Amino acid sequence: MGKYIVKSLLQVIPVLFIVSLIVFILVRVTGDPVALMLPETATAEDRAVLTQALGLDQPLYTQYVKFLGSAVQGDFGQSFRYGQPALELVLERLPASFELAAAAMFFAVLMAVPLGVISAVKRNTFTDLLISGISVIGKAMPNFWMGIMLILLFSVMLGVLPVSGRGGLSHLILPAFTLGVGLAAQMTRLIRSSMLEILNQDYIRTARSKGLGRMTVIAKHAFRNGLIPVVTIMSLQFTSLIGGTLITETVFSWPGLGQLLVVAVNTHDMAIVQAAVFVIAFIVVIVNIMTDVSYRLLDPRIKYD
Amino acid sequence: MKKRQWTGLWITLLAIVMVLSACGGGGKDTANNTTAEGSGTEGSSASSTLTIAAATDIESFDPHNNNNTASEAVLVNVFDYLVKNDSQQKKVPALAESWEQVNDTTWRFKLREGVTFHNGDPFTSADVKYTLERVAKDNTLKQNSYFKNIVEVKAVDEHTVDIVTDGPDPLLLNRLSKMGAGMLPAKYIEDKGMDTFLKEPVGTGAYKFSKWTKDDRVVLVKNENYFGGEPKWNEVVFRVIPEASTRVSELLAGGVDVAASIPSTDIARIEGEADKKIVKAPIQRVLQLIFRQTEGSITADPKVREAIDLAIDKQGIVDSIAGGAGIVTRTSVTPGNFGAEPSLYKTSLYDLDKAKQLLKEAGYEEGKAEMTISVSSQYKEQAEVTAAMLEQAGFKINLDVLEPSAFSERYSSKSFKEMFMIGIGNSLFDASNNYNRYMVEEAKGESDYNNPEVEKLLQSALVNMNPESREKEYQQVQQIFAEERPAVYLYQMEGVYGTNDKVNFAPRSDEMFYADEITPAAK
Repeated sequence: MGKYIVKSLLQVIPVLFIVSLIVFILVRVTGDPVALMLPETATAEDRAVLTQALGLDQPLYTQYVKFLGSAVQGDFGQSFRYGQPALELVLERLPASFELAAAAMFFAVLMAVPLGVISAVKRNTFTDLLISGISVIGKAMPNFWMGIMLILLFSVMLGVLPVSGRGGLSHLILPAFTLGVGLAAQMTRLIRSSMLEILNQDYIRTARSKGLGRMTVIAKHAFRNGLIPVVTIMSLQFTSLIGGTLITETVFSWPGLGQLLVVAVNTHDMAIVQAAVFVIAFIVVIVNIMTDVSYRLLDPRIKYD
Repeated sequence: MKKRQWTGLWITLLAIVMVLSACGGGGKDTANNTTAEGSGTEGSSASSTLTIAAATDIESFDPHNNNNTASEAVLVNVFDYLVKNDSQQKKVPALAESWEQVNDTTWRFKLREGVTFHNGDPFTSADVKYTLERVAKDNTLKQNSYFKNIVEVKAVDEHTVDIVTDGPDPLLLNRLSKMGAGMLPAKYIEDKGMDTFLKEPVGTGAYKFSKWTKDDRVVLVKNENYFGGEPKWNEVVFRVIPEASTRVSELLAGGVDVAASIPSTDIARIEGEADKKIVKAPIQRVLQLIFRQTEGSITADPKVREAIDLAIDKQGIVDSIAGGAGIVTRTSVTPGNFGAEPSLYKTSLYDLDKAKQLLKEAGYEEGKAEMTISVSSQYKEQAEVTAAMLEQAGFKINLDVLEPSAFSERYSSKSFKEMFMIGIGNSLFDASNNYNRYMVEEAKGESDYNNPEVEKLLQSALVNMNPESREKEYQQVQQIFAEERPAVYLYQMEGVYGTNDKVNFAPRSDEMFYADEITPAAK
């Protein structure tokens, strides 16, 4: 197990290297930040001066080598927009995004676990059908639309929750719920099918025939094994929550990584885009390793060499 | 038995939903409470927090390294200029009490005495020297291009400075009253460094910096020692809400007092609320089509350009796309700017039959006059309607809609085809800003406009220190442009704001939010 973790961690390096190369090239071939930075009245000469000052007149490979040299020391360059170190700006945003992602995950689990289990236990009944229907709707509803509808209902009409921004717990409810619903829908389906498979297995029948109560069997024997695919989906979703809350963060003006990245892309703030993608890639890789490890904890039969 | 357990769960869920809906019963009251809370302390006096929502965040607290109106709109409350534009865009004393022209290249400013920065340091001529020389000399700063003609700032005494330019500069006062001329504390920055300054900025303005959470909010608090008297609000909060429908919802829910950039589709919704209203004001931005007049280009033919002008129903675009928030014009130098020609304002030409006629005279059969219009996606709808109108007159239009960043790259590399649509602002409030692009050198490769008479007038106006004859020069240029049409002007845009009945807010044409010009409504 320890050996496995060390090996995985070593594999992180080439992955991050490739990610940095791709992002670096993409950011540079898609547009010129200088044009966006200067006022409309700036002359060609002004642009040349700024291009040179930012080092953007140098060949791409020179720029990359320079970038890589600084990046390994944790320096991802200065944000053009804010004039501050890019990595610092990105890390500053992480807590907000983590907070939102964790709350969304909490909502998702809260909804999906009971619904998924009920659905499996009551397979092919009306309840099952109802839950399936709800989860299809939940999955199909665009985050953007749902966010706006929730704001209209709970903030504008009922006035019980704040519309946007980050503040206390009340600010967290709507965006986290918006993000959590799609995830819950997916998890519900997964828990249902995973539970169904397990409920048909011999050891469940054995447990039942020993005379154990139905609830005990479901809770103690089936549920634990049914969790494995859920953990997979949770980890995959958590990473996409961190990087991909773009739309939800924009709707609720939640000052997280997603919003930072959207603005950075729009303003061609290269350093921020690079640093943000790098950090997201890093989180994805780490979470994947943690997922593998948690499989092992959940199911002792899974072994890593 | 088991069945009953699950049913119990369902009943609990239902109960929660019902409790939530019950809260909704008293919804109006709750909403009002949120309003009061969101706007600070309650009491006999009007609420003392002003909350304004804008679509974009400030870039930083460095007035020299910022290039967007949204930043300046916030920063004017923290940093003062030597000269200020009042709400009619007239130059009035601010940190400078008076000024005079010593000779063609030197201006002398008398500074106001007894002014202090937020950290207690006195404001003196050393601060003016530091501020202006920094922005004039550091060519990596975004505001540098507006100030680089300042050669030197001489501190004559503690409260007198001479500003020396590299040639006669009729625009010096305009430069000194815009972003980039916000006065910085020289001693504080020299002692603590720029990084500290950016985290804890200090100015002389009516409001002091309190907190900035990027992409969320900027919080400012009252400067008790403001030279202009006690500020009106205890606290001013600028919130960043990029999504328009969320901004509107915040206004409706009472979370903000003023919301900027209201989309035309939401105007009716806000006006339908008893305690909310829409206020509008023309802004410094004119939507226009700029033509390429290079030999061989179809738009080099004056008849074609005239046909384009006549084929577009500008008022129709204002009404259909901009929700009425626009003023048609035949010049881009609108009132409030130096050199405006009022006779060309609030009018437009539209004559579809004559446009068809002109196109025929120019030798083009129906559908043969093919052109490309490039436009940034922010003006996509306006461009689509324009294209449809031009096709009605017999043109064949290719619409080239670009992402804003792709557009500005093409714009600065001057690689558009027959024409491009763009909204051009004017932060200097002077006609020169509108016309420098038509001077032979600048026009090369973009419009290739070349008219020796216009060139002479523009060159002269650039250094003409006599305001009267200078104004005439620009008015003459506008008359020539109205005939020659190097560009067709569609309309001057208007800023659309939503406010609640707790504040009196009259928007400014420069889109600034001077917090003290927004007053609590009398109860």
